[in-house]
Amino acid sequence: MVPTMQHSRNAAHRYSRRAMLADSGGGFGSAALACLLQQQTANARSENDLNGGIHHRAKVRRVIQLFMNGGASPMDTFDYKPELERLHGQDLGPKEKPEGFTAAVGTVMKSPFPFAQHGETGRWVSSMFPHQAKIVDELAFLMAMSSRTNVHGPASYMMNTGFTLPGFPCMGAWISYALGNLSDNLPSFVVLPDPRGLPYNQKANFSAGFLPSRYQGTIVDAASKTPVPDLLADPQYEFARGEADADTVALLQQINRQHAAAHPDDSRLEARIAAGELAARMQLSAPEAFDLSSESRATQTAYGLDQPATEDYGRRCLLARRLVERGTRFVQVWSGPQGATNNWDNHGNITAELPPIALSVDQPIAALFTDLKSRGLLDDTLVIWTTEFGRTPFAQGSLGRDHNRGTFVTWLAGAGIKAGATHGRSDDLGYQTAEGQTFCYDLHATILHLLGIDHKRLTYRTAGIDRRLTDVHGDVIRSILA
Amino acid sequence: MQRRCSIGAYVWLIVVAGTVSGDDDAFFREAVEPILRHHCYECHAHSSGNMEGGLTLDWRSGWKTGGDRGPAIVPGDPAASLLIRAISHSDPDLQMPEEKLAQHDIDVLTQWVKRGAPDPRTAKPEAALDPTDWWSLQPLVRPKVPVVSGANPIDAFLRAKLAEQNLVRSDHADRRTLLRRLTFDLHGLPPTSEELAAFEADTDPAAWEHLIDRLLASPRYGERWARHWLDTVHFADSHGFEHDVFRPHAWRYRDYVIDSFNRDTPWGTFIREQLAADVFYPDSPQLTAALGFLGAGPYDQSAAATAPMSFEYLDRDDLVTQTMGAFVSTTANCARCHAHKFDPIPQADYFALQAVFAGIGKGDISYDADPAIAQQRPRWQNLIAAATAGNAEVLLAEENQKLLAAWEADRPAQAVWKPLQLLTFVSTGGADLRKRADGSVLSAGTRPDKETTVVTVTTELSEITAFRLDVLTDESLPVMGPGRADNGNLHLSEFEVSVFRPAQDAAETVRIRRATADFDQTNWTIQHALDGNPATAWGIHPQVGQSHHAVFELETPLPVDADTQFAITLKQVHGGSHIIGRFRLSATDGPPATAIALAAETAAVLDIPPESRSREQQLQLSGAVLKHLAQQQLSQLPAQVQVYAAAAAAKNERGMVTFSKPRPIHLLTRGDLEKPRDEVAPGTLSALAHLSARFSLPAGHSENARRTALADWIADSQNPLTWRSIANRVWHYHFGRGVCDTPNDFGRMGSLPTHPQLLDWMACELRDKNGSLKHLHRLICTSETYQQTSHGNSGVQTPDPDNRWLARMSRRRLDADSYRDAVLAVAGQLDLTMGGPGISHFTTSPGPQVTPVLHYDAFDLDSAGAGRRSIYRVVWRGIADPFLDALDFPDLGLLAPTRGFSASPLQSLVLLNNRFVLHHCRHMADRARKETDDLQQQIGQTVMRTWLRIPTDEERNMFHSLAEKHGLEAVCRLLLNSNEFLFVD
Repeated sequence: MVPTMQHSRNAAHRYSRRAMLADSGGGFGSAALACLLQQQTANARSENDLNGGIHHRAKVRRVIQLFMNGGASPMDTFDYKPELERLHGQDLGPKEKPEGFTAAVGTVMKSPFPFAQHGETGRWVSSMFPHQAKIVDELAFLMAMSSRTNVHGPASYMMNTGFTLPGFPCMGAWISYALGNLSDNLPSFVVLPDPRGLPYNQKANFSAGFLPSRYQGTIVDAASKTPVPDLLADPQYEFARGEADADTVALLQQINRQHAAAHPDDSRLEARIAAGELAARMQLSAPEAFDLSSESRATQTAYGLDQPATEDYGRRCLLARRLVERGTRFVQVWSGPQGATNNWDNHGNITAELPPIALSVDQPIAALFTDLKSRGLLDDTLVIWTTEFGRTPFAQGSLGRDHNRGTFVTWLAGAGIKAGATHGRSDDLGYQTAEGQTFCYDLHATILHLLGIDHKRLTYRTAGIDRRLTDVHGDVIRSILA
Repeated sequence: MQRRCSIGAYVWLIVVAGTVSGDDDAFFREAVEPILRHHCYECHAHSSGNMEGGLTLDWRSGWKTGGDRGPAIVPGDPAASLLIRAISHSDPDLQMPEEKLAQHDIDVLTQWVKRGAPDPRTAKPEAALDPTDWWSLQPLVRPKVPVVSGANPIDAFLRAKLAEQNLVRSDHADRRTLLRRLTFDLHGLPPTSEELAAFEADTDPAAWEHLIDRLLASPRYGERWARHWLDTVHFADSHGFEHDVFRPHAWRYRDYVIDSFNRDTPWGTFIREQLAADVFYPDSPQLTAALGFLGAGPYDQSAAATAPMSFEYLDRDDLVTQTMGAFVSTTANCARCHAHKFDPIPQADYFALQAVFAGIGKGDISYDADPAIAQQRPRWQNLIAAATAGNAEVLLAEENQKLLAAWEADRPAQAVWKPLQLLTFVSTGGADLRKRADGSVLSAGTRPDKETTVVTVTTELSEITAFRLDVLTDESLPVMGPGRADNGNLHLSEFEVSVFRPAQDAAETVRIRRATADFDQTNWTIQHALDGNPATAWGIHPQVGQSHHAVFELETPLPVDADTQFAITLKQVHGGSHIIGRFRLSATDGPPATAIALAAETAAVLDIPPESRSREQQLQLSGAVLKHLAQQQLSQLPAQVQVYAAAAAAKNERGMVTFSKPRPIHLLTRGDLEKPRDEVAPGTLSALAHLSARFSLPAGHSENARRTALADWIADSQNPLTWRSIANRVWHYHFGRGVCDTPNDFGRMGSLPTHPQLLDWMACELRDKNGSLKHLHRLICTSETYQQTSHGNSGVQTPDPDNRWLARMSRRRLDADSYRDAVLAVAGQLDLTMGGPGISHFTTSPGPQVTPVLHYDAFDLDSAGAGRRSIYRVVWRGIADPFLDALDFPDLGLLAPTRGFSASPLQSLVLLNNRFVLHHCRHMADRARKETDDLQQQIGQTVMRTWLRIPTDEERNMFHSLAEKHGLEAVCRLLLNSNEFLFVD
């Protein structure tokens, strides 16, 4: 097999030890390496100037993405629509069921939740998010996000991979591919799914697609005693535990080195040996990273670990902080499984279905932000709050809301973000965008930009196309950048 | 780059604004032309070979004449100029380029138009190089083999290139290396020490050739090479997407592919079978499984239900991508939103391909795997159709009249129905049931909306072959009944019988084979009373006001003694008081010919001697009886099997979905469903001038004619893409890299072939030797190139780290499937059972939606089938097996023509600690301990199995101390993680 990366063939005639390390998952990402080699040739700026970026100076080194699975309702959370009060009950929706709506279009439905203005920016937030309301001045809002589909599967693909079809790498995989690890001790891309179930598309949302599979998300079960799968052998296999493990791995490495020495010029053999070394380091560091017991009582309480409603999401948010603190590059924290309940897909009854899921994330999210800030981590960490689409201002049945790709809300906070900024506006009903429409392409382009990556230049050739996370689209949303 | 252009343009604006008469020519050349060249020429210039919408912007006449929409520029009037409207994205239907220009660039072009659009480019530009002037599109001409004495033709081509590169080929590898290489390559399995001993001892000069032949003849070959094809066509056992539902019948396609490789089905036949076996091979119904190709890809069940238009569009897109990628290595799908940017594929070609698949949808299709059965089934189906239509020609045909006569001969002269003795009768709906003197039961009093009547009975018969239900008129019923609905109708939802024998504790369900009624309401036939579905029922409207009856034939005659009781349940749960008004139950012990309910006037015909019947009477009787007999025959045929495929009629989660005719396919502006243009007829790529790209099919042709035409185009011996594509794939899997190393893309974005002559020679050889893959395998494997060492003759060559010129053999890492199979083999746990439903390497529990939760870590590694080859594993598209995933098993959301290589810490952890590996370390150690008590020998055996060699003394000593300290299992774990096991020289 040959490495399938175009640039590694073109840029590096011989696989150097550095290239080998990059390929084994440590140090630089593959794209970073290729870029670095070009820069060295061109006698360009040193890597330090770029702060870890590959095309320009990075402001962000790590990312936490909070994903509200199911389509969080904008007009019941962050997108205040007084017109809905006035038009409540009127039949103003489309006459024919649009593609991807799951039921007939009902009459205009006002939000059952009171809104109030918060912070110096006077941002409207509903009673669903009392904790996030306290930090709104620090967040930047995209108020006119759109999707291309009203169907969960393709829409989730879109927000994660930029395409509505399966098989494409997700943002976390692209970022790992581009930038590699911050630390050898932990996986660079970690996914913390809701313990009640995987999101729509199952694991395919975290896939490396056509990128090498090592860039895919490592799925971590935060509640498990062995959160990183296969980190250690099951205790029933005593010959693979403790001293037996250490002795075996030591001899394995020796045998593999002898084999490599007898088969020179094959970097893949070296890469496996290097990966083995890194695996041993990960075994030592990972358990500490996943052990929340060392966190202070105050911290645990702040994240809501003491209350049943917030305990789970709080634990995962706290874990996300510990991971980025220790060098994980990208963490996704999912709220809600696929399905009809326990998530943000509130078809049946907004009044009944939204409050519990909103309650479960609100305090943990605000606590995460505050914690990151107080630890100085926000200086190079980006936090994003996303969902796959919005919901209709028209009732489904009489109390629920259907899928709506027309407009929804995303917020970003942290390094490189202009606190309190707003981009875009939805129409008076909150049905479609009115101005400043953005798509996942623009969001992804902006995130990559903050990481020091030009989204148009981060490419991978497969099946006839130099593929990008942003397809042929995407503009960096400069109005929300600091 | 872009920034520099913009600054230049800015300067120009300032200059222009500040001078009364600027230099138009220089303005155009320095400010305007670079923008056009950079942003517009790709799609609108002779040089790129693209003139989308007929518009060129590379000379003055181009924009003056304009394209489909008329002149692009009105000099002096930017607002009226299409070009300016397009670039400023002010009109949602006309936004170009897709990525909006920088404002500076828009300003420059607007300024230029305002100034009258001065354009010095008066000469017509040179046309681009012919876009079809590309290696893969050239006709296939068998190249002359370079003259190299004694060389296999493949070596001859390669040596010529080696000489050009100043490289020398490597030495012949030793037999151990060759055996291991070939066995993994052709079987995906390790050879045994016995096979090594035999091969090393084989002094026959043709030993290698014999080995190749033996391996190619083994069914293990098909299991290995089928996996390559299944990757290529992104086959999996579940849908993917939101509702990642299992496809229980997908495996038949997998088995078909394995079988095809083992049979060495000619490649052209393989193509035709997968695209249109139903048309090409109607007499081989077992080949229906081949159509699983059409259903290999993902399926968005959620979108299919809620967003059908976009679902069908994208589902077809996937099928076009798969077909053209897999068979002709072409990225036709890149021409969905605009003409292909690099290859000569206009949008019209793409949509013509969409039209090929516009008449099919994914789902299970049923067929008879046995050709003999497949012949019988239509005979009876046709007879039923003839009976239903009253087709005299068929019904009165001699062979059918013989059937009728035999039936009449078998029928007793007298009616043989004996009324059942009523013991109890209960209405759960609350009606007042009254027994009548004639043994019938009348429903009176309260009229329930729904009803279930339970009757217990006995009989004097000693055997029952059928039950009969009479529904009778009565003056007390609305319009005389026999139902209690206002219009006299009734709906019998289910008819169920249980038998209670005194010696037994529990009741036993009596199995009913079939039912007939003297009259069926349209779509409310008596079969619905047996289908187990309470939502369907038997009805008798509009023949109300008259009595009717139904007969229920038992699967097997039921012996009865005096103490036997029956409970008969009449479910009438349709609602609207569609309940039975009056009924009577009886039974018979008569032969099957009795078990039929005939309409009164038909029954009357039976009383007339055949020779005295009128033609109409005979026709009437034939219709009723022959239909009954045909149904009887059909019910006795073995059940049909199913495959997940795509067809004009296929069963999916919504039931049987039928495309009565293909969907009209329109060319879509920018691929947008909401911007349809002209309808497009079915067709294919136009870049191959010598093959017709548009199928001339007659009006009203059937859907399958389109698939047939495409299959013919692809499998044509003159289609150079097809034969190059498969020859290249075969080479790719043997050497780890194709002659062209982008096996699914032979276009300008793909790689150039390193040895184009070799590729063409192999393509011709494959095509001309009956499309035989095994022939090509033999040629390749017998070449010196294939038999070189993989470490090369160091020191004498210039570096070729990617081994493009093959001065040595490429070393391969075991792919995921081979690794798992090899572990099973060395652990002595490999189960070589072939075929059949897939083995799930997980347990499941219900998920929040229809997709279950898969527990790969709860799988019983010693359960039946756990040791079967990986090809028989259930591949769940969206929920990857973490173990195989770590070894680069591909994401089958997309086509996977190549397997990746990764080496990561997480992969190391999986190989060291995954329970599959550890579990089989125990089996490996147990196996060795069973063979010998001596630890040294145990180590020797285990090393031989994994590395196919004797350990060195040093290795033996190290392994010995490890085993003494931590057990032989620790040594096994080391070996299964060693690069010497994971890599094949």
